[in-house]
Amino acid sequence: MNTTHIIGVFDSKSDLLAGIESAKSKNITIDEIYTPYPVMEAIDAMGRKSRFTTAAFIYGFAAVVGVLSFLYYTSVIDWPINYGGKPTNAFPSFIIITLVLTILSITILSLFTFSVRAKIYPGKKYILPDERSTDDKFIILFDKKTAGAGFEAISAALKANGASEVYEKEV
Amino acid sequence: MDTKVIFSKKFNYITYGLMGLGAIGLGYGFLTDTHRTWANLLMNNYYFLSLALGASFFFSLQYITQSGWSAMFRRIPEALMAYIPYAAIIMLIMFFGLHDIYHWSHPDLVAKDELLAHKAPYLNIPFFMIRIVVFFAAWILLTRYLRKLSLQEDQLGGTAIFEKMEFWSKVFIFVLALSFSMASFDWIMSIDAHWFSTIFAFKNFAAAFYHGTSLVGLIAIVLYKKGYFKDMNEYHLLDFSRYMFGLSIIWGYLYFSQFALIWFGNIPEETIYYAKRWDNGWYIFFIANFAINWFIPFIGLLPQKLDKNINFVYFICILLLVGLYTDIYEQVMPDFIKSPSFGIIEIGVFAGLAGLFLFAFSKALGKAPLIAKNHPYLDESLHHHLH
Repeated sequence: MNTTHIIGVFDSKSDLLAGIESAKSKNITIDEIYTPYPVMEAIDAMGRKSRFTTAAFIYGFAAVVGVLSFLYYTSVIDWPINYGGKPTNAFPSFIIITLVLTILSITILSLFTFSVRAKIYPGKKYILPDERSTDDKFIILFDKKTAGAGFEAISAALKANGASEVYEKEV
Repeated sequence: MDTKVIFSKKFNYITYGLMGLGAIGLGYGFLTDTHRTWANLLMNNYYFLSLALGASFFFSLQYITQSGWSAMFRRIPEALMAYIPYAAIIMLIMFFGLHDIYHWSHPDLVAKDELLAHKAPYLNIPFFMIRIVVFFAAWILLTRYLRKLSLQEDQLGGTAIFEKMEFWSKVFIFVLALSFSMASFDWIMSIDAHWFSTIFAFKNFAAAFYHGTSLVGLIAIVLYKKGYFKDMNEYHLLDFSRYMFGLSIIWGYLYFSQFALIWFGNIPEETIYYAKRWDNGWYIFFIANFAINWFIPFIGLLPQKLDKNINFVYFICILLLVGLYTDIYEQVMPDFIKSPSFGIIEIGVFAGLAGLFLFAFSKALGKAPLIAKNHPYLDESLHHHLH
């Protein structure tokens, strides 16, 4: 299961971005990037676009429709009760519970969507190629088989852009 | 860097023309229906004062949060503040119309009415006028001082003035929150002095902030289309859109909170307010308020593509200016006219005060360079970039 990876270590965000650019210009495939904090430019450079907001909107819309129709079914069709002369379809008072349940649905469904997409599940073994990425270093990971270049070429490309260290490791 | 906005002769004539229309509308109104004319004067003055104070709130918020992106738009809210002294004059003229607007200003009626008598220590004419003077004095002094510091910074540079402005923005925001809340209680809520809502001030304050911000955005877009603000890009638009989007939710939340609690509680003293605003054709304003001020901005500004589309944001900004009018119209007018109508008085008084507002704004904007060149965050604003 373990494969050999080439790991480049950078000290700063700007060096990391320059390193990504030079790797891309030399057609070297980046496997993964680990940073101490979210770096939006790195996500853009990896060519990944989040469709999370669209998913969240669909969940929210479905939740609004679902909750309102459930409330309509319970309080108008199935079991109408007269509360102080109010209409059984007491729409304004439905809105508050709809709001709350919509937020709950979006939160929980988003959590599950994220877990599925990122392949995270309870009991999964945590992979951390270089512990310093939780501290102050920026890490680029290349898979040696699929990177499309050898260790020497990658090392030269990264070092030219300010990588403090490039080494091989089984991950 | 030192370019000033030059307003064409035509623009000046338009403002004078609008003021002339206002004079005609007022003259016609006082001859035919004094109640309605005073109500219109109050409503429209409150409308433009809301915009000016909302913009000033936006302005001081940028200092308190030390925002970089908005640094180059700073002169717009500064110029909008110039309307506040004019609003003060009109509000003082309102003294002659108090009996036409406020029930509590008639001593004989108050004597017969237990509730109004109970409120009399607060709601009486001398104290009411004193409050007007105090509120406006505070607003004018503080906004003038901020403006003075801002112009000083153009000459001197450095960060000392920025820090000073940050401190005075904190003072201003505190004073404004308290005084504007009380002012909206005084001027708008006390029209129907029997009815009360504790969320009323917050709702109107949020509306002022919301629509004031959209006016700042609108003016920035108009000036950009005229060739000023060469460094404005889609990320500035995105920030304006995010302000409006967030505030649309706050506005909708507060507007709905006030309604939902009264609807659910179903206490006659409270529901009379909405009963009046649902019958005789007023219901359409209730729905229009939700649609214009919450639903359309909320749905429209959800996708980021539309947030960055200059024509769409332009449309939303204009729509929101209509939205503030319908909001205040629904709060003020049902107490004066039986069913909604829009006649010479409404058009005339609105046009007149709009002319005055544009006149005050254009004079203040033309006086100083459009971009404050020594603002410490200006560079960040000119190269604003987001993800």
